[in-house]
Amino acid sequence: MHALDDIAAEHEALLQFLYLAPVGIVQTTPDGTIGMINPLSAQLLMPLATDGNLVNLFDALDPVAPELRAMVAGFTAASGAVCDGHRVQLTAGIPGREDPRFLSVSLVKLDAERFMAVLSDITLVMRREQQLKQSEAWFNAILTGVSDYALVTLDEVGRIERWNASIGRVTGLRRQEVERQPFSILSRPDETPAERIDDRLREADANGWSLEDGWYRRADETRFWGSTMIAPLHDPVAPGESAPPGGSERRYALIVRDITDKRDAAEDLRRAAVTDHLTGIANRRAFFDAAARELERWRRAPRPLSLLLIDADHFKNVNDRHGHPTGDAVLRAIATTLSGTAREIDVVARLGGEEFVVLLPSTDVAGAAAVAERIRAAIAAIAVESNGTLVRCTVSIGISTMGRDVTGLDALIERADEALYVAKAAGRNRVKVHGACMAPAVG
Amino acid sequence: MRIRPVSIRMETLTRPTFESADLPDWMATCREQELDDLDFGVIGFDLDGRVQRYNATESRLAGLATARVLGQMFFTSVAPCMNNFMVCQRFEDALRDGTPLDDTIDYVLTLRMRPVKVKLRLLARPGEGFRYVLVQRRI
Repeated sequence: MHALDDIAAEHEALLQFLYLAPVGIVQTTPDGTIGMINPLSAQLLMPLATDGNLVNLFDALDPVAPELRAMVAGFTAASGAVCDGHRVQLTAGIPGREDPRFLSVSLVKLDAERFMAVLSDITLVMRREQQLKQSEAWFNAILTGVSDYALVTLDEVGRIERWNASIGRVTGLRRQEVERQPFSILSRPDETPAERIDDRLREADANGWSLEDGWYRRADETRFWGSTMIAPLHDPVAPGESAPPGGSERRYALIVRDITDKRDAAEDLRRAAVTDHLTGIANRRAFFDAAARELERWRRAPRPLSLLLIDADHFKNVNDRHGHPTGDAVLRAIATTLSGTAREIDVVARLGGEEFVVLLPSTDVAGAAAVAERIRAAIAAIAVESNGTLVRCTVSIGISTMGRDVTGLDALIERADEALYVAKAAGRNRVKVHGACMAPAVG
Repeated sequence: MRIRPVSIRMETLTRPTFESADLPDWMATCREQELDDLDFGVIGFDLDGRVQRYNATESRLAGLATARVLGQMFFTSVAPCMNNFMVCQRFEDALRDGTPLDDTIDYVLTLRMRPVKVKLRLLARPGEGFRYVLVQRRI
């Protein structure tokens, strides 16, 4: 009798433990039908459930995360993580009064019949991240000193409204070269597609600022490495609205700083955090940040977006035969070739080991294939010297391109990886596009 | 099956239902045993948010003994699933504004980890020490 009482008491304690768990836990079938669910899940999901019922998890999340269903459908492995910490924005927030609310969703496939979801409210986490980014942007602007920045105002389509002395001081450009021109004239003309101007204005609307580093030009056609911040001057525009409240026009402030000078301590710190220590190009973290931003742009306004996944062929042999210092030199040579071939808006990064990635905005499959072929040929032509002998290395490249059927960054990379595998299987030192003639040549 | 005494008819006449308009008055004076006899769940919590009344029906639905729940903070330690603007916020607003609250909403509770469709009746009256959430299953 006592044993039964003990079991009942333990059962009750376990139930209460689950009732009070500070994260949401839900078990569903593959189509999302809820089998088990704890109270915090109901707290988070009930305000979303339009029909007042919680029968299906994907239905409940559909208004805010319609991609979940596709992610589950596209997950073909027998078990494993479908997504981990996938961020979902629940509400837009009210500027100055209420923060936008965010939910983090992790989804694990247990087996063919069962999925487990973990939900947590990450509104506070996101707010702290935003504040950090904001202060980083500000320190970035202040620490360099006030002598080398230009401040101009932009109209609603990103045209510079008026020339002033600061823009003349930093760029040397004259009034007639600047006024009523899109701000992209400050960078090299081929480096800023028209849609990038709109992207940055929309980002400034959404986040309160848009920060980006890149090459900018002076009147004498020399260039400098600069950092630009765009901040809206108008009242906040609610998501889905096209104009600020009260019928006012959109206007923005644009700050351009010359940060070529590496003595800037804050800049060094920031650079160290986003740079691959061996090759000097962007690291994995910086790539995922930049790529997430690019995908966000794609979701807002779909346009061509392609990705190259690049892997050094037989790299282990290079290390084994010539030693790691030579292997490192080969990786650096590959990185140099990649950044030399890429445009300013492309994201070039080392993902790890001998694997590199290039994200190509505003580039379709054909364009991406041309870039990939240039990269392949350029790397095949270089040689690194090691103890008097010349070491050559080739790369294989897989290409994928963004489309409605691609659920996210992971899926885009996975497709490129599949194409890369085909390139490897077909004999290496070649380029393959995902989906196009993927079958390796026989014989 | 328990055989009901003959007085069952009397009981049904006097015992209030989930919808009864005079339920708040009845609950203000009823004994705990009468509360336990109701066929819907009753949770009463004070102005600090601590559970002071928890009837047998609710205890059975949730799988928690009354002793485990009494004195606990309702929205954080007993029913976190209602700690949002649909339920908790309504009580807070009513308390702050000194306005009465008597509203019935469709909701889903996670009783024993299963989603269970319920109707919730939210009751609060200015000047009273207890506020109530009533729980009835939806079919």
